[in-house]
Amino acid sequence: MKSAVIGTGEISAEHLKFLAGSKATQLLGVCDLSRAAARYAARTFGVEKSYTDYKRMLDEAKPDVVHVLTPPQTHVALATDCLDAGAHVICEKPITLSHDRFTSLWNLAAGKNRKLIEDHNYRFNRPVLKIEKLIDAGVLGEVMEVDVRMALAIRAGGRFADRNLPNPAHQLPAGVIHDFITHLSYLVLRFIPDPDKVSAAWTNHGGDDLFKYDDLDALLIAGDKHARIRFSCRTGPDCFALTVRGTRAEVQTDLFHPFMRLVKPRRGGEKLAPVVNQLANGLNLVGSSWTNLRNKLMQRTPYEGLHTFLNKTYDALQHDTEPPVTFDDMDRASRLIDQMLAEGNRV
Amino acid sequence: MKLLVTGASGFLGRHLVAQAVMRGHDVRAQVRPASDIQSLGWENHPRVQIVRADLRSKAGLDEIVRGVDAVVSNAACKAGDFYTQFAGTVITTENLLEAMANVGVKRLVAISTFSVYGFLKMRDRELLDEESPLDTDPIDRDEYAQTKLVQEELAREFAKEHDGKVTVIRPGVIYGRDNLWTARIGMELGANRCLVVGGRSILPITYVENCAQAIVFAAEKQQAVGQTYNLVDDDLPTHRQYLHALNQYRKPRMKSLPMPWLVMRFLAALALGVNKLFLGRRAKVPSILRPAALHARCKPSTYTNQLIKDSLGWSPHFGLDEALQRSTDDADLAALTPQAAEAQTPSDADQEARTCA
Repeated sequence: MKSAVIGTGEISAEHLKFLAGSKATQLLGVCDLSRAAARYAARTFGVEKSYTDYKRMLDEAKPDVVHVLTPPQTHVALATDCLDAGAHVICEKPITLSHDRFTSLWNLAAGKNRKLIEDHNYRFNRPVLKIEKLIDAGVLGEVMEVDVRMALAIRAGGRFADRNLPNPAHQLPAGVIHDFITHLSYLVLRFIPDPDKVSAAWTNHGGDDLFKYDDLDALLIAGDKHARIRFSCRTGPDCFALTVRGTRAEVQTDLFHPFMRLVKPRRGGEKLAPVVNQLANGLNLVGSSWTNLRNKLMQRTPYEGLHTFLNKTYDALQHDTEPPVTFDDMDRASRLIDQMLAEGNRV
Repeated sequence: MKLLVTGASGFLGRHLVAQAVMRGHDVRAQVRPASDIQSLGWENHPRVQIVRADLRSKAGLDEIVRGVDAVVSNAACKAGDFYTQFAGTVITTENLLEAMANVGVKRLVAISTFSVYGFLKMRDRELLDEESPLDTDPIDRDEYAQTKLVQEELAREFAKEHDGKVTVIRPGVIYGRDNLWTARIGMELGANRCLVVGGRSILPITYVENCAQAIVFAAEKQQAVGQTYNLVDDDLPTHRQYLHALNQYRKPRMKSLPMPWLVMRFLAALALGVNKLFLGRRAKVPSILRPAALHARCKPSTYTNQLIKDSLGWSPHFGLDEALQRSTDDADLAALTPQAAEAQTPSDADQEARTCA
């Protein structure tokens, strides 16, 4: 297959690293509005040609797959042109800024018999895959509660706090949080797929005019199952915590600094099981500290799931099977984001 | 002449504006939208026009560049991850050069750095001059070297594609107030201790006021067009001598732990060997243990400023002791009185510069 990339921002490094090392595809072009950025990316990752005009790239390189890695506001226009040019589209999150626009884009892709795939990379991180295995094996019992919590010091400096040239994410419907909301949504929906009640508190605790919101506290209820989505910039340290509680056991992890804490019925009966759980989890935590140290040394990042996601996606594209992120996955995530932003669901 | 100085509120930029005004020029000083301009020292000077713009965006840049005789491209970003530095150094330059091409401004003085040189391939104590090879594989260096190499490439393309009249200036370590420590000496070990790698190695420094003056000279002189200049002061100290001189003005004194160059070089080579042999060269090790970065920082080399002195008739005004004294006293060195500009009549050099621009 022939691939091309539009956008050479931070996330592009992971996509380009994957593509440069993949045997499934040949990387033909990389495009950015900045000639210097496109050329640097091409040089660094061994891409055949760099472009500043994506339409020219589509025309000349005729890619089978295009990775759309630009700011979210541009996704619909770019993805539409890529689909029109006959390419499958792998798009960074959020794929569109509303469920309606997602549906239109999906229909366009389906009409052209092309695949449209949103990046749900954290779903493919090892801890999440392990939790899925535990659920499949019945260790947790029936999943009853899910907490997804992201803490990021977005006000403390870096690209979102830059007042000289405000990041385009500030213009998204949920402001900067919109840049992360897809991750939070698809992780919850992986375990509790169809919430029938959604309420969300969007707050700007910092209270200035750069940030639209800096805090989200959302409650999702699906029958007797509950989920909570939190985004905070006022608690530290940074984390991306996921807790899944079932009828038999609960499991907790942090995708930024992976560990696994599993509290389940263990030998020793009611009295000793808590002690055995703590001992087992203590040992596990020590092991995780070594793993994280090794990850840091070997430059393995929380984007490890992106490589698995892309591997599976290319495999599906080559064999014309269903991609690892399906219509339902994207549809639900997009719908949930709309629900959280809807005026009627605000706390 | 009228100069546009980008990055004017930064460490070097403040002095560039001051020196340009003292040389009789009018200055358009670009600062970022959120920069504090209350204590720049020349914010109310009649010959200085402050313009607020973020060069990472093209918006309004044509107007900022229009009407100037020359541009001193000084804006760069030394902090943050690769993408932050790329935007702050490369995208800013790309946008600036596009605006210059749009409005027909040809004269550019591009501020580069010694970091673009390929120190790893040089011999110990070899002379580094303008002909020394550039780093062709900066991935093992740091983001600063990577982005400054691209930035310099853009300046040279501007000369070729738009008939630009370009001067590239590569200063060594620029020191001055609040910037008296440099990683070229070695590594800081807390607030008041440091590891001094190769105490007898020469430190390629230029005092910020000397450096700013040389850059303004380059903007003025016809003979600077098409040239690349290395910029260091005279009588360069060794790492040890610099630290000793610094300690005369620093309280508390910086205590140093000496590390011979050959030992440090061996340790870095060993770290690279282990990384290659056992870790597939994927491990991230501290820069002082990466040969490419270590050689760029601490290698014992020799330096010359002969070309810039001969070509521009410039010589550094302040020696090390006086520079350190000025850097540690209370005076605001970039402060200009409204009379400062009147003190010097635009010179023959100014007339020459207009012709050149």
